[in-house]
Amino acid sequence: MAVATAGAVNAPKKSRVKDRQASMYPIWLLYPAAAIYGILFLLPTITSLYYSLTRWTLFNSEFIGFDNFIQFFQEPFLYQALINTVIFAFVTSGLKVVLGLALAVLLTSPLIARDFLRSVVFFPVLVSTVGVGITFTILMHPTEGVINETLAMIGIDGPGWLVDRNLALYSVALVDVWRGVGLATVIYIAGIVSIPADYYEASRIDGATRWQQFRHITLPLVRPAMFTVIILSFIGGLRLFDLIWTMTKGGPGFSSDVMASVVYKQYQSGFYGLSTAGNVVLFVLIAVLAVPLNMFLNRKVVTR
Amino acid sequence: MSWVKKYGLSAAAIAISLVVFVVPFIFIIFMAVKDQQQSAQMDFSWPTSFHVVENFVQVIQARDFMLITAYINSTVITVTSVALLVVLSALVGFVLQRRVTWWTPWVDFFILAGLMMPPAVVPTITLMQQLGIFKTIHGLVLIEVAYNMSFSVILFRNFIATIPRELDEAAIIDGARPLSLFFRVILPMLKPVTVTVIVVQTVAIFNDFVNPLYYLPGRENATVQLTLYNFQSQFVTEYNLLFMNILLITIPPLVVFLFFNRQIVAGMSAGAIKG
Amino acid sequence: MSGLKMKDLRKSFGAVDVIKGVDLEIEHGEFVVFVGPSGCGKSTLLRMTAGLEDITSGELWIGDQLCNDVEPRDRGIAMVFQSYALYPHMTVAENFGFSLTLARAPKEERERKVMDAAKILQMEHLLDRKPSQLSGGQRQRVAIGRAIVRQPEVFLFDEPLSNLDAALRVDMRMELSKLHQQLGATMIYVTHDQIEAMTLADRIVVLNGGEVQQQGAPIDLYNSPANLFVAGFIGSPKMNFTKVKVRSADATSVVVGSDELVDVMVPLSGRKLNVGDELTLGIRPHVLTTDSIGALKGTVDLVERLGNETIVNFRLATGAQWLAVLSGDIVLKQGEAVNFAAESKDILLFGADGRNLATAS
Ligand SMILES: Nc1ncnc2c1ncn2[C@@H]1O[C@H](COP(=O)(O)OP(=O)(O)OP(=O)(O)O)[C@@H](O)[C@H]1O
Ligand SMILES: [Mg+2]
Repeated sequence: MAVATAGAVNAPKKSRVKDRQASMYPIWLLYPAAAIYGILFLLPTITSLYYSLTRWTLFNSEFIGFDNFIQFFQEPFLYQALINTVIFAFVTSGLKVVLGLALAVLLTSPLIARDFLRSVVFFPVLVSTVGVGITFTILMHPTEGVINETLAMIGIDGPGWLVDRNLALYSVALVDVWRGVGLATVIYIAGIVSIPADYYEASRIDGATRWQQFRHITLPLVRPAMFTVIILSFIGGLRLFDLIWTMTKGGPGFSSDVMASVVYKQYQSGFYGLSTAGNVVLFVLIAVLAVPLNMFLNRKVVTR
Repeated sequence: MSWVKKYGLSAAAIAISLVVFVVPFIFIIFMAVKDQQQSAQMDFSWPTSFHVVENFVQVIQARDFMLITAYINSTVITVTSVALLVVLSALVGFVLQRRVTWWTPWVDFFILAGLMMPPAVVPTITLMQQLGIFKTIHGLVLIEVAYNMSFSVILFRNFIATIPRELDEAAIIDGARPLSLFFRVILPMLKPVTVTVIVVQTVAIFNDFVNPLYYLPGRENATVQLTLYNFQSQFVTEYNLLFMNILLITIPPLVVFLFFNRQIVAGMSAGAIKG
Repeated sequence: MSGLKMKDLRKSFGAVDVIKGVDLEIEHGEFVVFVGPSGCGKSTLLRMTAGLEDITSGELWIGDQLCNDVEPRDRGIAMVFQSYALYPHMTVAENFGFSLTLARAPKEERERKVMDAAKILQMEHLLDRKPSQLSGGQRQRVAIGRAIVRQPEVFLFDEPLSNLDAALRVDMRMELSKLHQQLGATMIYVTHDQIEAMTLADRIVVLNGGEVQQQGAPIDLYNSPANLFVAGFIGSPKMNFTKVKVRSADATSVVVGSDELVDVMVPLSGRKLNVGDELTLGIRPHVLTTDSIGALKGTVDLVERLGNETIVNFRLATGAQWLAVLSGDIVLKQGEAVNFAAESKDILLFGADGRNLATAS
């Protein structure tokens, strides 16, 4: 009898368990948090959809349809920022994924001073981005910077890291990798240490080399961690502002502008509508690139 | 595989990581203690003379003790935001973990949105102006709470999932009402994850540059990150002072790191993986 | 005086009916044990009594208060959980006194009641420990102490001993029994364990599929189970069953038999049975004896010699597996054909609806 009814899908009767739950865990406990989050995050996000369709300055605002967005694809310097944002996200997340894994493998093998090395790699994550930006701006100075002076000693003519239009964006990307690879490493390490030692022992009995162990055990089993790193660093890359702003301010020219810096510049110049449209473009970019990526990667985790 | 090949490779890797990750910090320290002339050369050299105290005093005194004000502001902002975040996120994590209803997927969606989506800056500023909290410390506190809530909620929710429900039920039978259930039974059990949240968020909010830049412009309310940013243009010729400033604002995270290394690492990787 | 009364209690989770109309009256001071297979709704019924689950329909009376919509704290109940659910950050004393702290009882009253409970459980020396510093049995006692402090009218236990090892379980069982006599409170107790049920209960309530199958004193359930389910559930090892047909019947007895069973006569009065009716015959393993002219022919599969008794697994001609528990050490060989017998008063008959013919009205 019980079995026969247990399979029923529809539940027409209002379950009163909810009432019990409601009195133990009343919804009003959520109100303060919901108010802050709803008013200061969700509400502006929703109104931004409208503002992005206006020509909105200090003095007035006027509905102009999709003009702001059209501008983003027509004005070369805005379009450039769009492309730069995607390039930046791909380069930084790609490097973090690869280098983070390499460092994690290194730092999970038996080494002298392993814990110290882990700390050293991770510490930049905790340091002020502005401080990192300033430090590397000076290290990357084209003529007097430590990097190029060192290169000169071994006979290489170092490039103008931050002053070369074709290089500035990539230079900032390198610094972002330097700053963020520690987090990726730590996530990988958490993934690697959770792999049961049995697998390695069994494979050693089967005569696997270190490379084969990495290829057939570590790599597949660390995949969930890898997906986390990909998602996290990719979205972080799309949203990056502080490092670009302290190192190049989008320059030289507009060569290293990204969406976040455009949003700030347009806001500073009083083009509020355009700035907000930039924000919306960034939402869409994240939704279009990151959400499917997230779903794709999650599916792979499940079917592993 | 020969001995040299086996160990040479990892020795090289270690050496390279040490150079790449440690040299910039040593550079900061060297620069911070040099005199103005030597620092202007911007090279990686041993300081010819040490000016720790002198540089320190000058940085502190610059612009009417701006850095002191900034430190006070940053501390106030960080402490209040983190305190609010802990209590509010723990409450949210608690109710969300315990109560699964039709709106749970919506809340999950909003949490995810908060984690991934950049805030819409100008509409937020307009709204804050209307509410009279633009350019105020408490306004920025509320912003930090709103923007960092998702991450904290996820950490708390995952932890609360490990606390058996029977404990809640025992408390209910003992006569606990919702608030005493939370504050007297649940919250005290959240100590490990609370430490993690406090540490991770303290570092994040203390180091935050973007939000103060947008929502707290103006000299009187500057935070340490803003101050450093402004010093960059002011001290174009006095790199020693600039780096002393960098050093000074790197010290708090370093201290936190030395004491809570484990919690930070655990929190960041756990929150990231489960999020 | 506060007994407890359930009137047609029902509970559904969504579309699934878990408790399907339970009627029960429990006297003040009675020790009632709920037993039944896993998933039959024992915990649910207990939790409805505690107020942790809402009642879908029906009435729950505790004393003379209708409790359907009363908060757990106002029902005059206390509950001991299987996992103990001790507050890990509080000392034993704080665990004991938490309900009084919440009720803002004066400090001296709280301390007195905590001390009283500690004395009853002989835990005075452990009051300052945290739960993590206690053994399993001690934790169990803290959970009970927390209930005692509340001085409830009704104690509710959900498999409280199942996390303890066998020896400790026996000790705690006796302590609970003593506690019941000492406090004189009503106790409702859920368990899987036959022996706990038989030894502790004034009354056992057998549940299956969300319905009460039978209730009564333990020995009555053992001797005259109301139906096949109870017959199979109460008693260990399980009762043996086989299908039989009525050969002949008169006013005081019935003769049943089957291909593998020589006809046996069972005393039975006031039943109208027809020749050819299908019945189920049940015999407990303990009442079987070997007998060369016994009515039951079996082939021995496995013999377990325990010294004081011998457990024989044997097979009937139909292939049905039976069990006999013979007293003394008896040597039987695997594959040997053996005849078993039982006194006719020890033979139970169940009708096609599963009801015990001797007791069903
Ligand atoms: N919250 C719930 N939602 C849906 N079904 C539930 C819920 N709680 C219990 N059930 C179902 O109700 C039935 C009875 O559960 P209950 O916990 O009362 O069984 P039980 O007799 O205590 O079993 P056990 O001996 O294993 O503890 C089970 O089939 C269970 O799946
Ligand atoms: Mg149960």
